[in-house]
Amino acid sequence: MTLMHKHTLKTAQLIAAGVAAMLALSGCSAGGSIQPEAGAKQVKGGTVSYGHQQEPACVFGGWIEQAYLSYQVLDNLVSLDDNHTIVPWLAETWQASDDQLTWTFTLKEGVSFTDGTPVNAEAIAYNFDYWAAGGNSTAAVWLGGYYESAEALDELTVQVNLAKPYPLFAENLTQAYFGIQSKQALETRTEEENCASPIGSGAFTVGEWNRGENIELLRNDDYTSPPANARHDGAAYVEKVDWKFISDATTRVSALRAGEADAIYDVPAIEWAGIGEQGYDQLKYVTPGRPQQISFNTARGIFTDENLRKAFVYSLDRESIVDTIGKGVIPYEGNGAVSRTTPGYSEKAADAYSFDLEKANQLLDAAGWTERDDDGYRVKDGKRLDVLFPYSGGTIINADGASILQGVQQQAKAAGFNVDLIPIPPSAAASGKYSGVDGYDISVGYWTSVNAGIQYINWRQNLPESPNNWNSAFYNDPQLEDIIVRANSAADLDEQNALYAEAQEYIADRALSVGLYDRLSTLAVNPHLKDVWQESAQGGPVFHDAYFVE
Amino acid sequence: MTGVLERTVAPVQRRRRVRVGFLASAVTIGVFLAAAVTPHVLAPSDPFTMDFTRALQSPSLAHWFGTDESGRDLFSRVIYGARESLAIGVGAAGLGVLVALVLGSIAALAGRILAGIVNRVIEVLFAFPTLLLALLLVSILGSSPLTLVIAVGLGSAPGYARMVRGQILSSKNSGYVEAARALGHARFTIFRRHILPNALRPLIAIFTMGVGQSIVWASGMAFIGLGVAPPSPEWGALLDAGRAYITQASWLIVLPGFVIVVLALAATTLGKHIQSSLEKGDA
Repeated sequence: MTLMHKHTLKTAQLIAAGVAAMLALSGCSAGGSIQPEAGAKQVKGGTVSYGHQQEPACVFGGWIEQAYLSYQVLDNLVSLDDNHTIVPWLAETWQASDDQLTWTFTLKEGVSFTDGTPVNAEAIAYNFDYWAAGGNSTAAVWLGGYYESAEALDELTVQVNLAKPYPLFAENLTQAYFGIQSKQALETRTEEENCASPIGSGAFTVGEWNRGENIELLRNDDYTSPPANARHDGAAYVEKVDWKFISDATTRVSALRAGEADAIYDVPAIEWAGIGEQGYDQLKYVTPGRPQQISFNTARGIFTDENLRKAFVYSLDRESIVDTIGKGVIPYEGNGAVSRTTPGYSEKAADAYSFDLEKANQLLDAAGWTERDDDGYRVKDGKRLDVLFPYSGGTIINADGASILQGVQQQAKAAGFNVDLIPIPPSAAASGKYSGVDGYDISVGYWTSVNAGIQYINWRQNLPESPNNWNSAFYNDPQLEDIIVRANSAADLDEQNALYAEAQEYIADRALSVGLYDRLSTLAVNPHLKDVWQESAQGGPVFHDAYFVE
Repeated sequence: MTGVLERTVAPVQRRRRVRVGFLASAVTIGVFLAAAVTPHVLAPSDPFTMDFTRALQSPSLAHWFGTDESGRDLFSRVIYGARESLAIGVGAAGLGVLVALVLGSIAALAGRILAGIVNRVIEVLFAFPTLLLALLLVSILGSSPLTLVIAVGLGSAPGYARMVRGQILSSKNSGYVEAARALGHARFTIFRRHILPNALRPLIAIFTMGVGQSIVWASGMAFIGLGVAPPSPEWGALLDAGRAYITQASWLIVLPGFVIVVLALAATTLGKHIQSSLEKGDA
């Protein structure tokens, strides 16, 4: 073989390898239909390989990624069904006193935690105190201002005492942040042990956790306490869930197509239609609560001026950006306070602002930002109209969201805003960089919730005697807080929704926060895996009812 | 007969191939430099202007490299990205050579203890993975072009430093340095006039090749999210942004990747030609 031939062969091999790599990357496969044959029968056991986006620090905690995991392991007192009705889980019945200050839960009999200890009233009361003391950060903020104490009246009856009436109390308990853990485990095991493998009474237990790779969830063979909205009683059908962490969306989709994953979470908008055409089952849940929204720092900087906030909002054609990037999968959301799937949603607040560049320019001119520099950015008294806009890339904001934010940056430029868009890596976010009143001019993010009571968390005043770190606009207004508190305590549903809507419109009128898009929880599932569903409180995947067919 | 003819023609062909290679790489580098200096002349549109009606269009006469998810013209973004990418490449290679020169000189000329310490430092740096160093720097300094320059520059320095040390050691023991010493020249003068120029000469070629290599490294780091933030058209950032669309719009990653390969190839070819010319000069 001549040198030239050798060279040509080597080049050809390289090209072939490159093409093969490209094909592998693009997920092309020579396989036929992925649909199971008609009449395919249920297979016993098996391992579900599930590709999830983010890996939390603990199985249990105050972040939704933790809630999705802990839902598999811990049972709640109550569950939320598809009709937004609260149904029994560990609690068979519950009742609020006439003044809504005392809630009594009666538990199922004979339920045990996986460490053998009983799920009794004492354990439930202990969990309430544990949450309120910060054992779960999100549970703590939900209970804050309302929870007073919990006591076991007898083996199976627990009473929770509230400081203020809260008719939505039981509904809030359907979120996985309120997953019940073994009292013995919380008392005797280290924080690290409970973080890595909390002991609950759920359908699965935590097996091995290979950090950076996967968590094995093992079937609890003695499971007796599924929620009333589960599709079957008893233990899970599958033996194991291999909960893999695949942060890159393209890799997740490729894993599904290659058959390495039976189900994946957070399907990119651009892949959604193709995945459906290929025959994969698709589940989409528009998360209620605070949508992906931008809130303005009202305590420092240019956005202390309401007109500048409004100018910024008018400069954006948010719907157009979201529709293009979201490919019809990600819904546009105009409301900054709550998303469209939240009870008590206000259309009026959602429609408060539409794209109007002329109006944006008028407001900026009126505020004295009349000059422009060579790059087209507005200048006043020698100072440029700079906007510091950090966002948590890859965690709070996924790839689609990052593209939407670039659209915001570009459109605001036309009005003369110089938006400094800074993706914050998880390490910097964890260290608190770009947080606090000096950390940003605009913040972006969501907060899932089952109801509009989330406004209490996001807008309650941040006062020295009652700090609220979750008020990202740093907006302290007793009038707004009063509307929300009255809504939370309103016994009549119509009155409650009207007050929640009033709060949303109050927020929109002052341009404190505006919506961008609704946060989604999407799943794509191989049709050989049946009965994976999304729970209704937060949209997490449920594998207790899942089974394979062959 | 044929064998004689082949032997006669081969050197001519080789020289012609050499000239073609040199010219092609020089022209390629020239085009990229022009793009970096006057991108507005070469780019058909603004690299940041979004046109949602033209999102994700495949390459065509109107958009040579297609458009991205926001309808931005990819060819214009590649052209405008040349400045930042080249600046990172030149900066990182320059920093690498500079650090190498300092470390290599000390390792070759200092006393036994200091030289020993610097040699160990070079070895430790050599064994330290560049990616790990980059991660460390990004977590301390935040991701930015400067961080990339520092990470890639420091990552490449140990290799160059060994080369500089070897070059200085061989110059230090050469006849002309002996002669300069015999003539009573000061140590610093000998270093400046005789040793440094000889050590620097191969570094010119190394630097040219290093530019291409640094761009590839920096792009690789940007690809995994350790580089310049979007919407910058820096080439690695383009690769990173295109990754999400690889199955539906492969041009977003293939074409910027191709451009990086072409530049790296041109810089390496040019560097090799410079190296070969310098070696001939030595001979």
